[in-house]
Amino acid sequence: MTRLYLFLAVLFAVLMALPLVLGNYVLGIFVMVYFWAYVGQSWNVLTGYTGHISLGHALYLGVGAYATTYFAQNFGLSPWIGMFLGGFIASAIGLFLGFLGFRFGMRGVYFVILTIAFAEITRLIVSHMEALGSFTGIFLDFDPSFLHFQFRGNVPYYYISFGFMVVSMVVVRTIERSRLGRFMVAIRENEEAAQALGVNTFKYNMLAIAISAYMTALAGAFYANYIFYLHPNSMFGMATSIELILRPIVGGLGTIFGPVLGSFILSPLSEISRAYFSKGGLEGLHLILYGVVAILVVLFMPKGVIVYVTKMLNPILKPETARQGKRGDDADGR
Amino acid sequence: MDPHYLLQLAIQGILLGGLYGLIAVGLSLIFGVMGIINFAHGQMMVMGMYVSYWIFVLLGIDPYLSLIVVAAVIFVLGYLVQATVVNRILDYPEAMQVLPLVAVGLVLENTALLLWGPDYRSPQTALSLETLWIGPVMIDVSRLIAFVLAILITTGIFVFLKKTRTGKRIRAASDNRMGAILVGINVNRINNASFGLGAAATGAAGALLLPLMPLSPHMGHDFTLTAFIVVILGGMGNLIGALAGGLILGVAESLSALFLPATLKQVVSFSILIIIMLFRPQGLFAGKK
Amino acid sequence: MATSSGPVEPVGPVGPAAVISGHQDFYPALLEAPDSIHLLLEITTAFVVKWLAAQEAVDGPFKRIAIADYNDNKKEGIGMKKKAGKELNRRTFIKTSGAIGLGLAASSFGVPTLLRAAPTKIKIGSIQPVTGPLAVIGQGQRKANIMAARQINAAGGIKSMGGAQLELLLGDSESKPEVGRQEADRLIKDGAVVLQGPFQSGTAMAIATLAEQRQVPFVMDVAALDAITQKGYQYSFRVFITAKGLVGGAIKYLKQVTEMKGVMPKTAVVTNTADPFGKGMSGGFLKGLEKSGFPIKIIDRIQYPLGIQDLSTEVAKIKSLKPDLIFPVSRPGDSVILTRELYKQRVPLMGIFCPGSPGWYEPHVVKDLDKLILYVLVNVPWVNPNSTVYQKANAAFYKAYNQILDTNSAYAYTGTLVIADAIERAGSARADDIVAALKKTNFKDHPVVGGPVQFNEKGDNIGAMTALIQVQKDPDYLKRVKIVMPKEFAQSDEIVFPAPPLWER
Repeated sequence: MTRLYLFLAVLFAVLMALPLVLGNYVLGIFVMVYFWAYVGQSWNVLTGYTGHISLGHALYLGVGAYATTYFAQNFGLSPWIGMFLGGFIASAIGLFLGFLGFRFGMRGVYFVILTIAFAEITRLIVSHMEALGSFTGIFLDFDPSFLHFQFRGNVPYYYISFGFMVVSMVVVRTIERSRLGRFMVAIRENEEAAQALGVNTFKYNMLAIAISAYMTALAGAFYANYIFYLHPNSMFGMATSIELILRPIVGGLGTIFGPVLGSFILSPLSEISRAYFSKGGLEGLHLILYGVVAILVVLFMPKGVIVYVTKMLNPILKPETARQGKRGDDADGR
Repeated sequence: MDPHYLLQLAIQGILLGGLYGLIAVGLSLIFGVMGIINFAHGQMMVMGMYVSYWIFVLLGIDPYLSLIVVAAVIFVLGYLVQATVVNRILDYPEAMQVLPLVAVGLVLENTALLLWGPDYRSPQTALSLETLWIGPVMIDVSRLIAFVLAILITTGIFVFLKKTRTGKRIRAASDNRMGAILVGINVNRINNASFGLGAAATGAAGALLLPLMPLSPHMGHDFTLTAFIVVILGGMGNLIGALAGGLILGVAESLSALFLPATLKQVVSFSILIIIMLFRPQGLFAGKK
Repeated sequence: MATSSGPVEPVGPVGPAAVISGHQDFYPALLEAPDSIHLLLEITTAFVVKWLAAQEAVDGPFKRIAIADYNDNKKEGIGMKKKAGKELNRRTFIKTSGAIGLGLAASSFGVPTLLRAAPTKIKIGSIQPVTGPLAVIGQGQRKANIMAARQINAAGGIKSMGGAQLELLLGDSESKPEVGRQEADRLIKDGAVVLQGPFQSGTAMAIATLAEQRQVPFVMDVAALDAITQKGYQYSFRVFITAKGLVGGAIKYLKQVTEMKGVMPKTAVVTNTADPFGKGMSGGFLKGLEKSGFPIKIIDRIQYPLGIQDLSTEVAKIKSLKPDLIFPVSRPGDSVILTRELYKQRVPLMGIFCPGSPGWYEPHVVKDLDKLILYVLVNVPWVNPNSTVYQKANAAFYKAYNQILDTNSAYAYTGTLVIADAIERAGSARADDIVAALKKTNFKDHPVVGGPVQFNEKGDNIGAMTALIQVQKDPDYLKRVKIVMPKEFAQSDEIVFPAPPLWER
């Protein structure tokens, strides 16, 4: 195990040092890698561990972004505080959705559609609220300062997004090791059986969705102060929800490193293919490529890329488990 | 309130609802047989529109006449998607089934963009501006034809499933996959055929829509959502329910214009959806498939 | 060299120079009269550059040009050029003798400054929505940016910087603000000293903020929402008219038309797409109309989502309200649905008056709608068809891309010209110099209706104005759109208002 921790420590140090050598643009790519990894991780808490698929997670991202911005613009509240309020609002919405879904026994496809419907309804309602900019969206003022969560260069954004991602991994790790985590996995594997064994599935489902929504909303605050423009369609739309789930699925669902790995694969891929194909006459090719890669990964690596990476790295990082046989596979992947 | 206005809205809703129904029938069929949601459904419909468009522009054949050809082409498309992608993911957990089909939609949408560009295309077909008048109430001829054909096609699919051998196999596979395998049905081929059939239905709906609305690569997504709602209304896997669900949604959306702006139309549909899922998750027309 | 058949002749500035001076005298003169050789080579270099540009104009972009420079590893000088051309299998050609001769001669006789001084590259980042729902417009704008840069290069580049060439770096916003921002950052990383684009107001806002963060000048060719320039940004400039300016024009023309024709519409309905531009524009129009005291009653405002497929219920509603006029703020696509539906449901109207939006003048819309779109009045920032700049640019655009230079592309074209003009006057590619020059812009030779481009303290173009256009009868659908107001730009003296009903044409 020590080798594994050593490896992670080295990786951490390298990533921490990157802003010393990289320019704004490449840092920007890393910011997006961390951002989507974080959001993917938040989604993973619900879907990866309890198995309830949310295809409307953009809802919480949007709520976080809008709430933070609303508090900042109207009450001068720093986004550093506003984002936690946004988190609570998102949790409340998540709990309401969860109540309908879990109390009324919506499973599988029905739950998916419920989450889509919630996100779409919120999108439409926000589109009609003048206080939130309605269809025009909100343009944030750019006034760089730490208190405002706004900065000139990408270096602070880099460290903040990196911090988000690392904290999310620690949180998920903690959950995974706790009773809560074990119950969540039990629900994923067989909800009826878990219930029969006396697990209060409703309670743990609700906890999972609340945590997941809360975490996602924090990312919304980051997004708002990084992009400076909020629009209901881009914040609550299904395209964002889909973008958000791609990374954990490609990386490996229900694992700590899956969303991160997926983000390290997909974000640069979309960036590079766009940069390379953004010539006249090839419009759209990069999205085709993106789609094809996503299909191939799911078809040929259904448990996510993480499984293969773990297999590859195991002999180096964990010689003891590799010698003992296959036991390490699962333990490390999850 | 002008009573003619009310009547006008209702008629438009019913006519459009027929088309919604046809689109949703395909989705419902695919779900019924394989338990999979086709997230690329709208994009497949758009492909149907493009095929129909090019036949019209290059050969001058009216969309209503090329309907069969369009359906055949989209059948092949659906068959291929099933054979290459969907058959491999049938045993995956649900979360993993979502992504490949979303990605298929992405690929289809951007292939259309790459090949035919982003322009809105709205060819004027022979009947696209024709109207019938019953007193002060207008009936759009192309909408009426689309409606009638949509009903016919749906009935056709229904009869096909009831009466033919392949249809019965499809229903068998839909009822009990393992059982179907045990009695010697080649389930993979049945799956391919039913995905193809579902796609063909939505492709045909695309051809019927061509005279009605401008075509562009990015319009698929909205139709996918509409089809979801209709399918839930009618009950997953219930074909006649899908048709009825389409009519209900069409009328509800249309009449919502009385008290809501067009931008909130979808709130009505989604609210209906949530209420149905809460209190009647088996759909309004639970019963035989 | 760039002809499509056979091997190609090497080309370089030395060959022509040697011919002019006489081969016998050329090499000795390098030593004896370096100054005059210097001058001569400068002239022949400029000639070669022009000649290459001319070749490119005839044969399309080069696939590959190999340049034998005396210091190839630095890839300066004219540099290595790679482009996707028409023929992928065309033979690589190397121009050797002349240039190598010069290289050898230059390095030994102290002329190297000559090729050093020859065109350096100035990179301009063009970010347009070339994919996504607005791709039609974005692709046209990108093409116009490319053509403008090519023409400037062909005409000798930035003269104050020794004929420096413009290089356009292309970015795709995918019609999404966050992507637009990331693309802008990428282009800055690749060396863009100025950014331009991006049509959508949301993306414009994201890029404007980034431009402020990175301190890179940003010239918006099209983006109308007022708010973008209200933040006091120092690096953002807008060539396009503001939404406020658009509204002012609409009300002015509305008054003039009704007075001229002596017809007074009493009621009207406003329709708009529910997106930032649609809402901002129609909201501003409603407010402006109220303030102006123009006696027309707006009985309803109908908003519908962007990309709507069916407007039959909305039109049924309009019919039941019986308005005299419709003020649509639309996007390409919904204008077609709206008009066809108005026809099908036989809605009686005095006319359609668009206060300023796409969807009413694009050639394919005019063609698709045919008789139905006749007599629509549109207030819009428009191309100036009487100007030679426009005529030339339009002809070149049509030749290169087989489409006409419409108003958005013409503004994109203008944007690139304005940038080149500022760099020319700045004589430098440093951000602050360019910003200072942009602030002093007074650019007359542009292809759009309006006065010279001049930026106020907010960065808005005070010369921007709108024209009133009407679709009128003409056998050639490309010629149907005509300017009817203001007088100095008008192409047609007659305005048809009120228009005959849609179904009696």
